[in-house]
Parts: sequence; C-alpha cells; structure tokens
Amino acid sequence: MKTKQFFIVLSILMMFAGVGVVGYLGLSEAVLPAWNPASVLSNDDVDHMVGKAISIVDAKGSVISQACRVSVGDEIINHKGDYYRVIKVDKNRAVAKSLGKDKEFLAWNEYLTDERLAMAAANRQGGTVGVYHTHTDEAYVPSDGKESIPFKGGIYDVGRSLVNRLEQKSATRVLYDETPHDPHDNAAYQRSRRTAMKLMQQNPVALIDVHRDGIPDPGYYRATVSENKVSQLRLVVGRQNPNMEANKDFARRMMAYANKVHPNIVKEIFMAKGNYNQDLMPTAILIEAGTHTNTKGEAERGVALFADAVPVVLGIEGPQRQVPGGGITQPGADGGGGWRAVGWILGLTLLLGGGFLFLSTGSLKGVADRLSGLGKEFTNYLGPIHKIRQRAKKPGGDTKVKKKACDNTADRAVIDQRDEVTED
Amino acid sequence: MDRFPLGLIVLIVVSLLIFFGIAQRALDRMRLSDKGALAVILALIVGSFINIPIPGTPVPLEINLGGALVPVGLAVYLLTKAGTGKEVTRALIASGVTAVVIWFIGSRIMTGLPEPAGRFGFIDTLYLFPIVAALVAYIAGRSRRSAFIGATLGVLLADIANYFYLVQNNATNTTKSIGGAGAFDSIVISGILAILLADLIGEARERLQGGPTSEGKPDALLAGLRKPEFGRKKRDDKPRDDKEMRRKSEREEADPFED
Repeated sequence: MKTKQFFIVLSILMMFAGVGVVGYLGLSEAVLPAWNPASVLSNDDVDHMVGKAISIVDAKGSVISQACRVSVGDEIINHKGDYYRVIKVDKNRAVAKSLGKDKEFLAWNEYLTDERLAMAAANRQGGTVGVYHTHTDEAYVPSDGKESIPFKGGIYDVGRSLVNRLEQKSATRVLYDETPHDPHDNAAYQRSRRTAMKLMQQNPVALIDVHRDGIPDPGYYRATVSENKVSQLRLVVGRQNPNMEANKDFARRMMAYANKVHPNIVKEIFMAKGNYNQDLMPTAILIEAGTHTNTKGEAERGVALFADAVPVVLGIEGPQRQVPGGGITQPGADGGGGWRAVGWILGLTLLLGGGFLFLSTGSLKGVADRLSGLGKEFTNYLGPIHKIRQRAKKPGGDTKVKKKACDNTADRAVIDQRDEVTED
Repeated sequence: MDRFPLGLIVLIVVSLLIFFGIAQRALDRMRLSDKGALAVILALIVGSFINIPIPGTPVPLEINLGGALVPVGLAVYLLTKAGTGKEVTRALIASGVTAVVIWFIGSRIMTGLPEPAGRFGFIDTLYLFPIVAALVAYIAGRSRRSAFIGATLGVLLADIANYFYLVQNNATNTTKSIGGAGAFDSIVISGILAILLADLIGEARERLQGGPTSEGKPDALLAGLRKPEFGRKKRDDKPRDDKEMRRKSEREEADPFED
C-alpha cells in the first residue's frame, strides 16, 4: 500500500510540474508580460493596472487590430470583410494569418441594398431587446476621472444612450437591467448570467451586453461617423460556446447592417476566448463601446448610431423577410449559422460521448454492448408493462425462465450481501 | 422570438434536449434512480421560474428554486446518504477548497482592465468551476458524488462571498441573485459537468493503472466488478434482459471510485 501511496503522490506532483511547464511555455507568451505573481493578492494593482495592448499584425507586418489580450486561435473579421486568425502571440505583438474574405459577411453586405434599407425604414413593428452590463464598474478616464467606479461606472450612461435611442427611434421595447455584477472579474459573467436569464424570461429577440475596451490608445476607436465624433464599436463573440456559429452569424449581420446605415460605426468582430453567456441565446452579443481612454460622449454617440441599426437586424423591422425580386444570395437569413451550430453540438456530443464510452468500457466491443443496452434502459420506464408482456408471451414452465429466476435470486443475494457490507 | 429562423429553432431545441439528456445521465450516477434523476431535472426546469426573495437582508437577496435550492438540496441529500463520516468530511473540505480556488482564479487571476475577460481570461468561469470542482473532489475523495457536492456548494459559497462583498461595499442598489439562471445557472452546470469530469478522470486513471484494484477490497464490492458465476456456463456477452441491465447498474454502483 505504501508504494501505491508513493505513486499517487508522485503522479500528483508530476501533474503539477506538468501544469507548471505547460503554463510557462504556453501561457507566458500568450498573456501580458507585465504580470507580477504577487499582484494577484493585491487589489490595487489589479484594478488600476495601466492597460497594455497587443498589436495584431498580418503576415506583411501591418497592424490590423489591437486588443488587450490575444490568444492563438482568436479570429477577427474587420469592417471590410477581411478574415484573420491569430497564429502566434509574442509579448506585445500577435501575428494573424489571413483567411481571405469572409464570404458570408460579404454576402450580407451585398444583400442589404439601398432599397431594402428604405423598406426597412418604412416598415416598423414592435419587438423586445434586453440590454445589461456585465462589468458595471467600467468607466471612461477623460470623463469619469478613472477607469473603474464600482457599482456605478460611466458605462451605465453609455447603456442608457443606447436604450434611449432604441426607444425613441423605433418601436422597440427595451428591457434595461442595471443590476451591478461587481467586482470587475471573469466571474462577473457567472453573476450576470442570472441577469441575462431574467431578461430572457421576458422573451427578448436579442441580448446586448455593453462594455468598454481596455486598450490604452483612444485613437484606435476614435472616428467621425455620419458627421459625429464617436468611438467605434467592436463586437465580441465568445469561442467557448457550442452555439458560436449562430452568434457569429448574428454579429456578421449586425456589422453589415450597422455599417450600411452609418458607415464604419462597427470596427470589427473579434472572436475571443470565453463564453460571455452567449450560449444562452443565438442572438446574444457583447459590444465594446470604445475604450477607457475615449470620452464618454464619444462612446454615447457611438452606441446611439449603432442603435439605429439594431431593430432592423433583429427582424423587428426587417428586410429579413422575402423581398419580391430580391434574388441575391441570402446567407444566414434562414439561420445558416444556426444549422452549423447544430452540427457542432451534435458533433461534440458524439465525440465526447464516444470517447467516454470507450474509456469506461475499455474496448469497442464494450461500446457496442453499452449502446445496445441503452435502449433497454429506457424501456425500464415501462418496466412492469414490459415484464407483463413478456410473461404473456412466454407461459410458465419454460426451463429458460426458471433458470433465469434462479440466476436472479443468486444475483440478488450477492447484491444484498454487498449492500450490507457497504451500508454503514 | 417569433421571428427566429428554423435553423435557430432547431439549434435551441437540440441543445436543450442534449443538455437535459446529459444532465439526466449524469444525475443517474448519483444515488438516484432513473426516475429520481428525471424528477430532479423537472424540478430544475420548473424551479427556474421561481425566485424566492429573502426578507430582512441588508442588500436585497433572492434565491432561485431551480438554480440553487434543488441542486444544493440534492448535494445535502447526498451528504446525508454518505457512507461514513470520513466521506462527509472529505466532501465538505472539497467544497471549501473548491470555493477558495474558484474565487482565486475567477476573481483574482482573471480580473483587471483587459477586456473582455480580464487578464488570463483563458477559460470561461462556466467551464472553469466544474473543472476545479472535479479535480479537487477527485484528489480529496475520488468521488463523483463529492465532485457534485463540491461543485454546487463551492459555487454557492463563492456566491455567498460575493454577497458579503456587496454588503461590505454597501451596494444597496442591487439585488443579489443566487442561482437566478435556473437550470442554466453555473451552480447546476458546474455540478453536472463536475460529475462527468470526475467520472472521466477516474475512468482514465483506472485504465492507465490497468483496471480497478481489487486487492484488500471487501469481497462484496468485488462481486460487482466481476460477473457472478454460480455454476452457470460461460455467459454470452449480449445483454439479454433487464436482469442483465440490473447487474450492470449494480456493477456501476460498486465501482470503488464512486464511494
């Protein structure tokens, strides 16, 4: 027994060592360099750390985007429809590979012609949208004085600007939930999940989680759009979500339409690590309204312009319905992203379920046995009926049945004995 | 949601079915019968719509029936059904450790200015919590049940800690919700994923080791591992009837890892 314990301890130590090595090799490059392990324990350092951005460059070295935290596999679709995937992350530079143009975004772009925009504007109907903030302390340094004001960050003003515009300019009913989810951390998403669910119970067409970014360069988001000085928006889609394809499709539609109404209001779609509660709904989206170094006014004007596009995209006022004579490709309008997401979910379930079965039975034959047993397990619900039927089919006196009964008793005895031993 | 295209409707239906299907299969591995597990699932779904406000608290507090009370109740039931005091202690310690670790990773490491998930936001808390709970429970007691208890009580404790944070900061403009996302709350999802993960870790380790250990284990437990022979001829491998099924499930129960 002692050697066994030794091996257990050894294996745990080995695992810890392994995690350490992998963490060192994998994470140290993928995360911010200016991290001091001791800062984990001190509050101030964390909340007031000056933002550092990683520049994302393409193969030629020109900057295509900036973000606070980039990991390999993150994807970007910019407002022109260029599709990139991050393949390498260094200390403050990430390299992205071009995947060409995003065909579906371009098709959406093409689909939204001037006539359809006009039709959309003319055709107004009601609908419901849920708006909330996961990070409720987020604020804008030039206007609010600091980047974090717990429980009442400037982000509320930006949210209200979005809500007001939605209500004024369209017949959209907006559910604005101002529940704070402080402190500002990743677990805030766990807390805001409750808020999102509460909103969902009122049957909204979409959920919008409004944030502001943390990159230091205000110029990155600053722009003049439709003659307003605004901060542009970034739409974020979480990659750790089995429904991701559906949410991505929604983001594409959102960017295509918003940029038709107010060119360049949406800067890009960023697909980052995380879930952001987007698994709750295929039409859930996270928006970053500028960054903490932009002024709050810029952000407020930015989301207001974005609000003009929201109702139409949601189909509340929509060109999504068939337009006579509209023969251009209509991607995703029938939920292409939705179908792909279904495929993902089914694929993952099969893969994991299969792996699980294989592991727990240890052989392919075992898998087959388990699967054939699965059907029987469900018939268990109809157990008595099943038995009665069997009895009706096979009249008593059959030697097989007797033998079965005998086996049953033997099994029962073993089980009972075992229960006695274990029950203490 | 009347204008959702068919693809999205199918997506929602399929994911709901798979989620609840997996949840039922996972709960089935607790000390619950098939029907019991189904009843718990129903309670989770129905309870999702019931929020119970707790009066007289400094910061308004409400607890969801399906998202908190049902899973926590199940955890407590499993605790009371635990065989030995040692098991209970292990499960409770695992819960405490889980709570501290998820708070540490979720609120200390994955925090700060970087958007959208803080520094080191490498994995969503929705998945982080069950992974932590399963690992801790496995190290503490090699137990699926302990993983479930650790995950649900661990997340609950982290929520309670957050409540005290709110009270401390006098955040009276909020209503703290515990388990408010109902059947999709992190309390429920963590519990279910933790069971599956603990099972996966346990099975994988047993495979690596070359099968379950039988040395020094009570005979009755071993009886569940190998087929009882009782003078019968070599059995055929096909599961034949419900007797066979029962024996299988008994064998599962006798899995040394579960206890």
